[in-house]
Amino acid sequence: MPDTVWTIAALLSAELGMAWLAQAMDVHWRQVRGDAPRPVSRALRPLGYAALIAALVLCLLANTATMAVLVWMMLLAVSAVSVAFVLSWRPRLLAWTWP
Amino acid sequence: MRTATLSGWHIASRVVAGVVGSYVFTWGFVALASAGLLTAGLEFHEGTNLASMLGLLVYLSALCFAFIAASLARGWLVLAGGGALMTLAGWWLSRSLA
Amino acid sequence: MFANFRLSLTWLHTWFGLVLGFVLMVAFFFGSMSVFDREIDRWSLPETRIAAQPMPSFDHILAQRFAQMTEPEAEQRAAAEKRVTQPLPAQLTASNWNAYTTHRDPVLLTYVGFAVPHSTLPDDTIYAEQTIDPRDGHALHRDQLALGSGFFYPMHFSLHLEWHDIGYWIVGLSAMAMLAALVSGVVMHRKIFREFFTFRPERNPLRSTLDLHNLTGVVALPFHFLWALSGALIFVGIYFPVVGAMMQPVVEAHEHEEALHSGLDHDPSGKPGTLASVDAMVAVAKAHWAGKGMPGEVGFLSVNHVGNSNAYVSIYRDSTDRVASAEGLHFAGATGKVLFEDPPDGPVTTVNAFLVGMHLQQFRHWTLRWLIFIGGIVSCICIATGFIFFVEKRKTVHARQGRAGSRWVDALAVTTVTGMIAATLFVLVANRVLPESLADRDLWQKSAFWGAWLVLLLHAMWRSSALREARRSKAWAEQTWIIAALALAAPLLNALTTGDHLGKTLSAGYWPVAGVDLMLLLTAGIAFVTARRLQRSTTTDDLPVAQEPEHA
Repeated sequence: MPDTVWTIAALLSAELGMAWLAQAMDVHWRQVRGDAPRPVSRALRPLGYAALIAALVLCLLANTATMAVLVWMMLLAVSAVSVAFVLSWRPRLLAWTWP
Repeated sequence: MRTATLSGWHIASRVVAGVVGSYVFTWGFVALASAGLLTAGLEFHEGTNLASMLGLLVYLSALCFAFIAASLARGWLVLAGGGALMTLAGWWLSRSLA
Repeated sequence: MFANFRLSLTWLHTWFGLVLGFVLMVAFFFGSMSVFDREIDRWSLPETRIAAQPMPSFDHILAQRFAQMTEPEAEQRAAAEKRVTQPLPAQLTASNWNAYTTHRDPVLLTYVGFAVPHSTLPDDTIYAEQTIDPRDGHALHRDQLALGSGFFYPMHFSLHLEWHDIGYWIVGLSAMAMLAALVSGVVMHRKIFREFFTFRPERNPLRSTLDLHNLTGVVALPFHFLWALSGALIFVGIYFPVVGAMMQPVVEAHEHEEALHSGLDHDPSGKPGTLASVDAMVAVAKAHWAGKGMPGEVGFLSVNHVGNSNAYVSIYRDSTDRVASAEGLHFAGATGKVLFEDPPDGPVTTVNAFLVGMHLQQFRHWTLRWLIFIGGIVSCICIATGFIFFVEKRKTVHARQGRAGSRWVDALAVTTVTGMIAATLFVLVANRVLPESLADRDLWQKSAFWGAWLVLLLHAMWRSSALREARRSKAWAEQTWIIAALALAAPLLNALTTGDHLGKTLSAGYWPVAGVDLMLLLTAGIAFVTARRLQRSTTTDDLPVAQEPEHA
């Protein structure tokens, strides 16, 4: 049971990381916010990568090392695609991910 | 893309070089690498598996090379010529193994 | 080939991607189906809808079954007759007995190997195969086709083209083309990082199709690369049998040394011998695994040099919790004593075993297996959008010049996207509709699949005449409606013919059948929505085609 919790947490961390990495890019920030990026938003990129690494750690908590790496790799793909689709259809939804 | 300026023969030659020429090159690579690794003392499965695994990446590289080579002559020389040479070298090296 | 490196690789990407893309669609679609092969087997063989069973007792059940399997498959025997220097004896003797099961299998696969005497091939063996119910050992009828593991799965790696293994070679070449398409795709895609999350469905079809192609290609790039590479690695012995072909003395020396080291003889002794209790050996193996902190069930069991004094029994654990398969334990047949345990793999063989195990995903990890399935579908979307982009980019020019290129590509694209899905659903429907007592029921089902696919190809070719005026072929929408209808019919027919409707399977928690039915209904829903959108937009399709975007 706890394994499922770690995996869901890993997915959420990956989604957050991808959402942050997307908004670290000018074009996507404007899609989500409608205004120009702020200086503090420079933290988005390193935080985005950190969230992706955190997802890997969470995967390692739920699986043996070899399985964890494969799960993580697939979760990254799923989260990247889902963030891309959200940006296409309801970009404002991502505004929740950053103050 | 301006394939209109390239003859059908040129395109066909590139494709055959990419598919068949690469195969010859890779065969030679696997032969030389297997013999070489086993001569170097690697265990049988370790050496042959490594040669095969690298062989797939070599085929991929050779396939791309067939299309980016500066001329058809160079492409064929490297792929077919190199493949034949490595096959021979691998076979010759393996004779002292068993 | 061209003035610069990027242009040459673009050509490679376009043309190898196009031609071998049709093969890759088959490989990735049926590969995705194969993730759930055992579940599809349960759906297609209602008599096997029982819980997964562990390997049964050898002494009480398997031994009797093997004793009855005295003839190899007729086709294999006929083929062997062509490669021997002396005529085959009327009765061949069994040289090895094998049984295989996994944590998902209610039924057990058994096969017996018969050594072919005086063959031109070294270690030539032909086989007899049977699927049995492990609870009592009775064999499933020969006409029963397991649609998942027996039809979709072999389609994935061999296209069912058996003449000189040509299907394996075509799939292998397409795997290399996939890798080349990934490498060249990255080289071509100049804004690969900037456009990582870019998908603009509101723009013209050419731009949005390319966006989707790039998106699905890039975000799952590690998956595409690893699965294509590991797939080719599984059959690398077929593609590059270099050491066997050129260094036979080295191979023989190694086999000799290994036999000495392990005590497992390569050849039968020729002297008769008895077989001790195999169940006792299994008990020893299970205790051994438990002692190493990895308790488990038997996955694979084989008796080698059957009937000889030097017979040995190899027992392998079903690897549910590891990516690679586990080491085997070997017992002396006559005494039941442990002869040898396979040592841990060296670093290269470990990587090899990991890649193969990763590709075959027989482990028990449903999250990861579902993710792999999704990855396969994403690959299909990448390939399909490649075809659509190819056609969209050229259809206006071709229409104006009276060229048939985009017509043909569009027809083939419809056939390998909607056509292939529809044919797959059709065989599931046929599986339920064909009478149970029909002779050669397996051949009827295979014919249903190929026949349906051929009809859908002809339909696609007919409808592609729209491309002559650069309009979208109606086949896309029409075949999507067919998919919706078939995907709805299949679970209904399952309920009607077996009584295992969703209410029953869900409340009993029988996920193999419930899962397939649910996926079919989901497919019907998606197809319905898609068909309606395609229908609406085909009528408003006479818009001027926007200028083509440059490759990103």
